[in-house]
Amino acid sequence: MSELSKSFEMECEILDRDHQELMQQIDKIAAVIDGNDDGRCAKLTPEMIKFAKQHFTREEALLIKVGYPDVKKHAAHHQNLDHKMETILELAAMADENSLAGEKLKSALKFFLADDIIDADLDFKSFVKDRDI
Amino acid sequence: MVGIHHAYGTTKVLNNISLTVPAGELVCLLGPSGCGKTTLLRIAAGLEQLQAGSVTIDETVIAEGAAQLPPEERRIGFMFQDYALFPHLSVLDNVIFGLFRQDRRTARARAMEMLDQVGMVQHAEKYPHMLSGGQQQRVALARALAPEPRLVLLDEPFSDLDTNMRARIRQQTLTVLKQNNVATLMVTHDPKEAMFMADRIKILGRGGKILQSGDSHEIYYHPNNEFVARLFGFMNTIKGTVQNAMVQTPFGPVPANGFADGEPAQVLIRPEGIVLSSGGQDGGESSGGIPVEVNSTHLLGHFSVASLKIAADRNGAQEFYVRVHKEFLPELAGRITARIDPEQSFVFADDATVPGEPMLDDLNILSPELKTLLSTGLEPQDKVQKQAEAAE
Repeated sequence: MSELSKSFEMECEILDRDHQELMQQIDKIAAVIDGNDDGRCAKLTPEMIKFAKQHFTREEALLIKVGYPDVKKHAAHHQNLDHKMETILELAAMADENSLAGEKLKSALKFFLADDIIDADLDFKSFVKDRDI
Repeated sequence: MVGIHHAYGTTKVLNNISLTVPAGELVCLLGPSGCGKTTLLRIAAGLEQLQAGSVTIDETVIAEGAAQLPPEERRIGFMFQDYALFPHLSVLDNVIFGLFRQDRRTARARAMEMLDQVGMVQHAEKYPHMLSGGQQQRVALARALAPEPRLVLLDEPFSDLDTNMRARIRQQTLTVLKQNNVATLMVTHDPKEAMFMADRIKILGRGGKILQSGDSHEIYYHPNNEFVARLFGFMNTIKGTVQNAMVQTPFGPVPANGFADGEPAQVLIRPEGIVLSSGGQDGGESSGGIPVEVNSTHLLGHFSVASLKIAADRNGAQEFYVRVHKEFLPELAGRITARIDPEQSFVFADDATVPGEPMLDDLNILSPELKTLLSTGLEPQDKVQKQAEAAE
């Protein structure tokens, strides 16, 4: 199982653990699409989305706890990901039978984790890493 | 790239930009002229001094604070808008140029391999001036990819090509980039090009802020602000006030979720978002359509643009523009109705000017020009802006 790149680390154990778990779940879905795992995208992807939503809730709670000033903005960002998550679930419903949908799902998942979740979280890396969490 | 800020003097051109380009994927920065997209490419390439933030490729930080790797050590391929081929070197030597770390024989073999990939082997001994624009573009792509870069940067790579060649060359370029599984960051001001090429589009607004990120479906069908919606071409605009979570339009009420009653709002409808029906006993009214009068129709190839007014609107205050598949020749005496496709209409606050977005003001000023553009094909907003700049 691949490790989260150093440049993506938040240096906050709770968040890094969540990001690592998301990456492992996404890796597993990608392995299914590539034919290297006998799971099903239609089952694994909703589980991953459920975990992502739990992560958003945990993260917002943590940001409130440490007094991050832009917590509302970050919560709004999480809300704006609803369309993306819907699209991901629609692709996942087709991906086991449709290879084009599978490739699109793989690409969407990579960006969902790297761009929508971790890059956005790096905005508050310096704020949370010095707090005792 | 994380937390990139950049300014020229007191003018802020990039404002907290973070983005990731996974291997094998193509990310496109789409925005109007002057929004900072080329500056971002130049920072990644090391051609512009990083002022704030960091740039990392794989696990290597290539720029952060004062520590900045020189361009030649970054393993980044850069394809410029004008291709920047050396006129005094042959096609082969242009491609070999970037392979200075390899011995001549290895470099030659690699250059020929890349020329083969882009279909230019037979032109290896020619000089750039002997090639068409499309062929020069392919040589520039071969040169960018020959050193097996970890990242390729494309700056408006197709803008100098004519329309027919552009479509063919961008398909070939995309195929070669995907074959090489290289991460690619491209900038363009052309929304169609971004939609064709990109796995992910990032909309950059004036002031260098990312306004929205997503795939082409999400950006087109779920724009999160007025600027993003208008970037993809002309929009019919209906202004109103939210009442009972709806905005009243001549075509009927449109849901305005998330707005407070009494809030001023505007409904933006794409020309293909007004759906016309004709024939039948009620001329389409049973499907919720409103009777309209067609003022004019112009065939523009595979679609027509029609202008229309609401039949009941005797003052004829507002004209709407509609895009119809194929040639549209309505019976003058026949009843035609129109309804809104909810997927192609969007509600935004009426004061929804995105900070630092003068283009929105330009559009209001430019309504006559927009009408002219409609008769020539509903071009993207950037062309409207360019006309305005030229007029100034």
